[in-house]
Amino acid sequence: MGTYILRRLIQTVVVIALISYMCFYLMTLMPGDPVELMIQSNPRITSEDIARLRELYNLDQPAYVRYFSWAKDIASGDLGYSRTYRVPVQELMGPRLKNTFVLSFIALLTSLLIALPFGIYSALKPGSRVDYFVNFLSFGGISIPSFWLGLILIIIFSVQFGILPAGGTETIGVEHESTWAFIKDRALYLILPVISLSVQSIGVFVRYIRSSMMEAMRNDFIRTAKAKGLSRAVVVWKHGFRNALIPLITIFALSFSGLFSGAILTETVFAYQGVGKLVYDSIMANDYNVAMISFIISVSMVLFMNLLADILYGFADPRISYT
Amino acid sequence: MTIARTLLSVVVSIGMAGSAFAKATNNELKIGISQEFDSLNPILSSMVASSYIRYIVNRRLTNLDSKSKWQAQITKELPTTENGLAKIVTVDGKKKIVTQWEIKESVKWGDGTPLTCDDIIFSRTVALSNNVSIPEREVYEQIEKIEVDPKNPKKCTFTYQNAIWNHVNQLGTFYLLPKHLEESVFNKYKDQKEGYEKNSNYTKNPTNPGLYNGPYVVSELKLGDHISMVPNKHFYGEAPKIKRIIIKLIPNTGTLEANLRSGTIDKISVLGLTFDQAISLEKKIKTESADFTVVFEPSAVHEHIDLNLDNPILKDIKVRKALATAIDKEQLVKSLFEGKQPASLHFITPKDPWYTDDPKSVTTYRYSKRQAAKILDEAGWKEDKDGYRYKEGKKLSLNFMTTAGNKTREAVQVYLQNQWKQVGIEIIIKNEPGRVFFGETTKKRRFDMAMYAWVANPENNPRSTLHSEMISSEKNGWSGQNYPGFKNPRMDKIIEEMDGEFNPKKRIELAAEMQKIYTDEIPVLPLYYRTDNAVIPKNMKNFKIPGHQFSETNDVERWTME
Repeated sequence: MGTYILRRLIQTVVVIALISYMCFYLMTLMPGDPVELMIQSNPRITSEDIARLRELYNLDQPAYVRYFSWAKDIASGDLGYSRTYRVPVQELMGPRLKNTFVLSFIALLTSLLIALPFGIYSALKPGSRVDYFVNFLSFGGISIPSFWLGLILIIIFSVQFGILPAGGTETIGVEHESTWAFIKDRALYLILPVISLSVQSIGVFVRYIRSSMMEAMRNDFIRTAKAKGLSRAVVVWKHGFRNALIPLITIFALSFSGLFSGAILTETVFAYQGVGKLVYDSIMANDYNVAMISFIISVSMVLFMNLLADILYGFADPRISYT
Repeated sequence: MTIARTLLSVVVSIGMAGSAFAKATNNELKIGISQEFDSLNPILSSMVASSYIRYIVNRRLTNLDSKSKWQAQITKELPTTENGLAKIVTVDGKKKIVTQWEIKESVKWGDGTPLTCDDIIFSRTVALSNNVSIPEREVYEQIEKIEVDPKNPKKCTFTYQNAIWNHVNQLGTFYLLPKHLEESVFNKYKDQKEGYEKNSNYTKNPTNPGLYNGPYVVSELKLGDHISMVPNKHFYGEAPKIKRIIIKLIPNTGTLEANLRSGTIDKISVLGLTFDQAISLEKKIKTESADFTVVFEPSAVHEHIDLNLDNPILKDIKVRKALATAIDKEQLVKSLFEGKQPASLHFITPKDPWYTDDPKSVTTYRYSKRQAAKILDEAGWKEDKDGYRYKEGKKLSLNFMTTAGNKTREAVQVYLQNQWKQVGIEIIIKNEPGRVFFGETTKKRRFDMAMYAWVANPENNPRSTLHSEMISSEKNGWSGQNYPGFKNPRMDKIIEEMDGEFNPKKRIELAAEMQKIYTDEIPVLPLYYRTDNAVIPKNMKNFKIPGHQFSETNDVERWTME
């Protein structure tokens, strides 16, 4: 197992390096660079200014030279400087990544906690009224656009009833007396975005859990377990659910890998200080340093979560072993 | 995204009816903006939202007021040749201008340190460093030297490289840095690329009051979320009335209204609602008698269509004149903008002292389908059975481009396409995302007709857009903005003369001649001036949208709630 993990980790690092170069190169192919974007917004920029800025930003160098210079800085722990926001990337992205993680993690946890019992119950009682009802809600949840739901939630809870904030991350200018007060304040701002994000994923998860569980419950060994007189709980949880876990691990691992990518629409609708819109804007503005860090985080999360999923398969199903 | 926005607007409209409004007070004013802001370092920040904030916390040597008149801001008086504070001297056969400035006695940084000429000299030094990524430094470069009066640190003499008449206007964008806080950072990092900006106090410690000299200082800053400002105890001018101003970033313009109605914000800045959203909100506010007012003000942003003069069809002035004559601009602004965005005659705005609509100085093109058809006939473009015009077997067909996804521009395009079709011109709409349109298409002049906007600031010599040397090309690093490729020796001469003309009356005459050439040769089809809008609480007083490059926040200390 140790050798397997080490091998996979080495592969992961190589893949990250290759993908990072590809992303960097592809970004250089996009029309316009940070200096050209400045020219558009300021007709007074002279050709001397352009030459000076290109040299300062290394834009007069070939893509591979710039990439290696960027990679060298990253290796030394310097994430670079945002040319758009004119602050170090670390300071710009750090708080936003944390906020995005908090929002996405709570939304994911909420989705799982709700989807698991409903999905399993539906699978155990297929064709029942509850199953139909759960399926109806799942499809409804999947179909509702999150930005639209977000706006409806704002109108109901913020504008009409005034019980929840319409947007933001925390109450501005308030010194919290205790950690608990701070958590309570942050929680208030999370309720609506979490609902908006979770509704869709609950629907998706319920559908996956239901089908995976139904598949597992149709196996011969379940019939054997029942015939042996095992209790329903043991049949469902020890034999059924454990076998349904393999596809679910894949889905959850992929969902976890998106925790830092940001939910651009939800974050924008709720003016939530997350990383989603920042990444979009940095790509559009050719803000290489910010965009590259977000690419690296996304790629690393996908690769590491896949590695984790592969390891978890072995725990979920003893027949899977790594040598 | 357009469908999504429409859907949002509909939902907001339905859901808003009957919601409650909270009255804003002088204790706190929460302003919503939809655009991100960057570092608050005044010489470095380039985002519009940062300028909005910058004028709340910083003041400059000169300022353009809401009546488009230049005023001394932190200084006692504007130097002019009449008051003797500006003199033209000849050094080694070269004419230069020397100006005397005196900073008001009471002007201090937010920590109580007096603001002196040393701060001005230091700011120029930083701006001219090759390791600082200031976007354009012409303002700083034009000054050859600044000398401080040994008897009075608040008095200094500026010697310019050349004798330029607009030295006062230029200083409107000469931003000041506090030497007592920033000098040590600059000296430590000045040899590193971008070293100063990475380590500046504006980046590392933006709530230090000593960084600001305006009516407010920053008390809290979260990039991408909000900025909080409180009155500056050492401000030299009128004491601010509002005890705290919060600027909240709400990136989705569709939810700005919901935030306003729920009390999350009290005001929507000019960097908030789109024009159509503002129009729709104004109607709702009137119907509901809500406690807000939507303020509109024509701005210096001029929406126009560049015609590529290298295009064989558009090279013919008759075709250009026919295009202009076939547009009913008055109807366009009436039907699409309810008359709130005024039609334009040329690139100079009515607020500009150079503006003229005198028929002797401006060639106007009165809407006439018949006249447009006649001009095209004369140019050899004859109408065929399919309703379009042809010349030597070639169809009169032009590509019409703009930024994709801009609802207003797309509506204007369809309107114009229909008008030009009526005189037999085929218009093919071919829109592109902003970064491709500006990053490639306009810059490399790969268009027939391109619709976009320029900011036409008062008394601005249009060198970059109309001088023949500014035709964007590979040779000049694609730096010019003369995208139509307009070449007129007289126009070049006027632009050059304008820089050295100290007589305001003569400048107005030159500007009139400029407008005559521009409207005669029509390298560009002027369309309309965009209108700025803001939503303010009904009880807010002394608020004014200036409609030029300097923000509404220039008068922030006078804002009050009654």
